Amino acid sequence: MERVATGTGAGVSETTVYDDQIVKMFFTATTVWALVGMLVGVIIALQLAWWPANLGLPWTTFGRLRPLHTNAVIFAFAGNVCFTGIYHSTQRLLKTRMYSDRLSRVHFWGWQSIIVAAAITLPLGMTQSKEYAELIWPIDVAITLVWVAFGVNFFGTLARRKVKHLYVAIWFYMSFVITIAVLHIVNSLVIPATLFRSYPIYAGLTDALVQWWYGHNAVGFFLTTPFLGLMYYYLPRAAQRPVYSYRLSIVHFWGLVFLYIWAGPHHLLYSALPDWAQTVGMVFSIMLLAPSWGGMLNGLLTLRGAWDRVRTDPILKFMVVAVSFYGMSTFEGPMMSIRAVNSLAHYTNWVIGHVHSGALGWVGMISFGMMYWMIQDIWKRKLAHPSWATHHFWLATIGIVLYTVAMWAAGLMEGLQWRALNDAGRLAHPIFLDITTRLEPFLWLRLLGGTLYLIGAIMMAVNFWQTIRGPERPADAAAVPAAA
Amino acid sequence: MSQENDRLLGHADEADGIDEYDNPLPDWWVGLFWLTIVWAIGYSLHYHVIANRSQERALANEMAAAEARWPAEEAATRMSAAELDVTDDAISRGRTLYGQYCVACHGVDQEGGIGPSFLDTEWIHGGQADDILRTIVEGVPAKGMVPWEGVLSPTQINDVAAFVISRHSEATGRPIADIVGEGADPPP
Ligand code: HEM
Ligand code: HEM
Repeated sequence: MERVATGTGAGVSETTVYDDQIVKMFFTATTVWALVGMLVGVIIALQLAWWPANLGLPWTTFGRLRPLHTNAVIFAFAGNVCFTGIYHSTQRLLKTRMYSDRLSRVHFWGWQSIIVAAAITLPLGMTQSKEYAELIWPIDVAITLVWVAFGVNFFGTLARRKVKHLYVAIWFYMSFVITIAVLHIVNSLVIPATLFRSYPIYAGLTDALVQWWYGHNAVGFFLTTPFLGLMYYYLPRAAQRPVYSYRLSIVHFWGLVFLYIWAGPHHLLYSALPDWAQTVGMVFSIMLLAPSWGGMLNGLLTLRGAWDRVRTDPILKFMVVAVSFYGMSTFEGPMMSIRAVNSLAHYTNWVIGHVHSGALGWVGMISFGMMYWMIQDIWKRKLAHPSWATHHFWLATIGIVLYTVAMWAAGLMEGLQWRALNDAGRLAHPIFLDITTRLEPFLWLRLLGGTLYLIGAIMMAVNFWQTIRGPERPADAAAVPAAA
Repeated sequence: MSQENDRLLGHADEADGIDEYDNPLPDWWVGLFWLTIVWAIGYSLHYHVIANRSQERALANEMAAAEARWPAEEAATRMSAAELDVTDDAISRGRTLYGQYCVACHGVDQEGGIGPSFLDTEWIHGGQADDILRTIVEGVPAKGMVPWEGVLSPTQINDVAAFVISRHSEATGRPIADIVGEGADPPP
């Protein structure tokens, strides 16, 4: 089922056939990995609340499943979401088929094999022990090759575009493709010793700085810029409204890409890193506030005149909540970068709460919104259960609120109790374990929130399955908002 | 003041039907951006030049303030092995305290875990009663063991020490008197 579009722009006369097969492949992979990644998230949340869930086997302990969770949700779920949206929207925005169908397939199968390799090696305990860059060097090499295939395919498509004006979403995609390549290669430079083991070329402080330059920009250029690109395409499409401000989109784009790169040291405050470098990380994080909010504003203001539809359309609901959580977590992030605040928040569950308000709130919700919209566009069918989308929305929203509120409370409690002194100037809570056991109720609450979020995602997957497999329900032409 | 004009740029046919307004940047947003930039420059100058702060100086100031408020006392609660009470009563009170405070690291049967075992003949920080008391009182913060002075009262410290000594004695056959006795090195 390939879509035929007739160019209407100046100078475009021929007919373009888009490759929607590859979009469907990435879409399916996204749905599967979303369930896997979030299920592992729920399992490790259970392990933190109730230790016997570690099962006493090395392969199933928290220490091995935690990186499995982060890799599965970031690289498998979020990564495939980006690829789905990029392959779908880039062809349409540039009015051309992808540069090479073969490279598209190399990208798809290469990426899925990397994920499978990760899912095998991480539980076996094979790791480079750098957060978000745990995978061992042969897999890192494979990632580089697959990424190059993606890059050539993307920029090849760009070179063959049939439009003059490059829509803002494309700018965000470009920053994703280029920056992730650079970050991945620089942070993964190692000297292989055996097939499974290697030694980093950096040592000590340099290693830490490179790691968090990578780590922070993984947030910036894996979980933020490509998703802003997706927002810029799917939100106006779903709302059928023009983007609020072209100028704002350009200014906040350049603000983001310029400032993000310097903010990494906010992960190393009060460490051995020189004071001046810590200051750089802190002040660049503060300056990130406005450019981040530029994205939120442009998203929310694009909905002017469509707010009545937000009340009924679950797709717009997902997008509004996503953009709001984006604004919230990019306010929280700069605040946490302030030295004094970080000295309280660092090492506590507050950071976990921050992570998941961005991850569940922004990344997750914008992805769900995009997918509910896209499935009707590429499979040309109405949703099998439109009302389930609304149920999913509420489950997910309540889940996020429970998750983040529990983690804020837990984080503040830990942070304050660790540092509290009594009248005699001694630690008021000298027994670390006591503070840790007080976290228990919050950990159960987080588990509940995560479980609701997962149930919502399962409903989405079933809904998609029945939409695709079930009887034909032709969608209306052009725009296809789901009726709730 | 910049006004929304909602003038379309007319790009829609070049962007899959998505048009864009030519609206100006919201004033308050531009203001916020400038504010953070000015603040960033001001903070950096203040921290590094005007106030000349640093992590080391912040620590030194904090320590000095703590010293002024809570001057270090001469180790008032220091106990000596000579006064150690190793009666059955003390040992059984010590057993309860052990279960509360020490078990997580040293194990249910004192077999060790995060912290070392008490049932072998090896003592990292000394195996005479004096050493054991000192280790409990001062802790080994570098390795994560808490200084128990101030958490436990002197009697309680006596009691856990008595319990540890009695368990060590049971397991290794080394007489309690030898552990409590002055100076004697443990037998090999
Ligand atoms: C059902 C949903 C989810 C649950 C229950 C869940 C649960 C967890 C748990 C228990 C941890 C470990 C926290 C700790 O070490 O204290 C964690 C870490 C993490 N999760 Fe999730 N998660 C979920 C979804 C996601 C999603 C969708 C993403 C990203 C798109 C994500 C990204 C991360 C990251 C980046 C970390 C590491 C945080 C850090 O090191 O500071 N999670 N998650
Ligand atoms: C302007 C935007 C942001 C800034 C300045 C910022 C800043 C911070 C800070 C200061 C920390 C805590 C570091 C620590 O004490 O260990 C942190 C952690 C984190 N943030 Fe953000 N944040 C921002 C936005 C986001 C968004 C939107 C996401 C997710 C989509 C996100 C994901 C994370 C993750 C995954 C971590 C945990 C890193 C780790 O493993 O330790 N951040 N961020």
